[in-house]
Amino acid sequence: MNQLEELSSEFERELTRAMRGVDPAEGFADRVMARAQVNAKPRVRLFGMPLRARVWTSGAIAAALLTGIFIGEEIHLRHQREEAAQQQFELAMRITDRTLEHVQQQLWDAGVRLGN
Amino acid sequence: MAIADDEFRSLIEIHQRMVFSIALRVTGDPSTAEEVAQDVFLELHRSVERLANAEHIRFWLRRVAVHRSTDALRRRAHRPEFAAEEWEEQHSLEDDAPISSINLQARLDELLRALPEPMRVVVVLRYQEEMLPDEIARMLGKSVASVKSHLHHGLKLLRRKAAVTMKEYVREPA
Repeated sequence: MNQLEELSSEFERELTRAMRGVDPAEGFADRVMARAQVNAKPRVRLFGMPLRARVWTSGAIAAALLTGIFIGEEIHLRHQREEAAQQQFELAMRITDRTLEHVQQQLWDAGVRLGN
Repeated sequence: MAIADDEFRSLIEIHQRMVFSIALRVTGDPSTAEEVAQDVFLELHRSVERLANAEHIRFWLRRVAVHRSTDALRRRAHRPEFAAEEWEEQHSLEDDAPISSINLQARLDELLRALPEPMRVVVVLRYQEEMLPDEIARMLGKSVASVKSHLHHGLKLLRRKAAVTMKEYVREPA
């Protein structure tokens, strides 16, 4: 090791000794704890919950979603059935109208007059 | 809360010296260092459940302390009074005043403040935290060569400044 390296190592050792840790002013932990408690607002945070609460909350959300999907599907089916019934009714009415017109025409041709 | 109060307090008590020292030596200002150190622990409070073990927490605290300290330094737009090269040009060893008896410990913070930020961070991590250059490079996301270069120049500058201001380390080879 040459003289320059030796001096550098000596200086580095001094530096390491001089750079020892410094404590913050007394009560640092209390000050941080106080700020942490102010910042910890009661919010619904799924990922901050304990495992049991997370499981229950996830289950409740899943159940609500499934119920919603089921009810939505039921409403949709009922609506489809109502539309189909309406279409069938309209078709039946058109057939009836045409039949009545036909009968009326035949009677007219046969010279039968029904009232006024 | 993500962590029990007593566990969190215990983490603060274990690591407060390390976090505060990094913040103090990088920012060069005790009140800024206190603020930075508090912010680092509050960030830990929010993130602790993602950290796997004690070693991970220590590594995370060091890294966040360095980043928050350099952020604070940049916000303050603090710059060394002289550029490193300019300073070296202005002070030659030959025309120094008599050697001072003030020790390195007492003048350390003042000397560190005169280093440019990247050199200061690397010097603090190397000599305060006793990290190896490759560990520093990993933490800062820099190349090992860049860290070694900062260390080399930072150390040279510190020695030169110490020599000029303290006269305790002036023993250049002939």
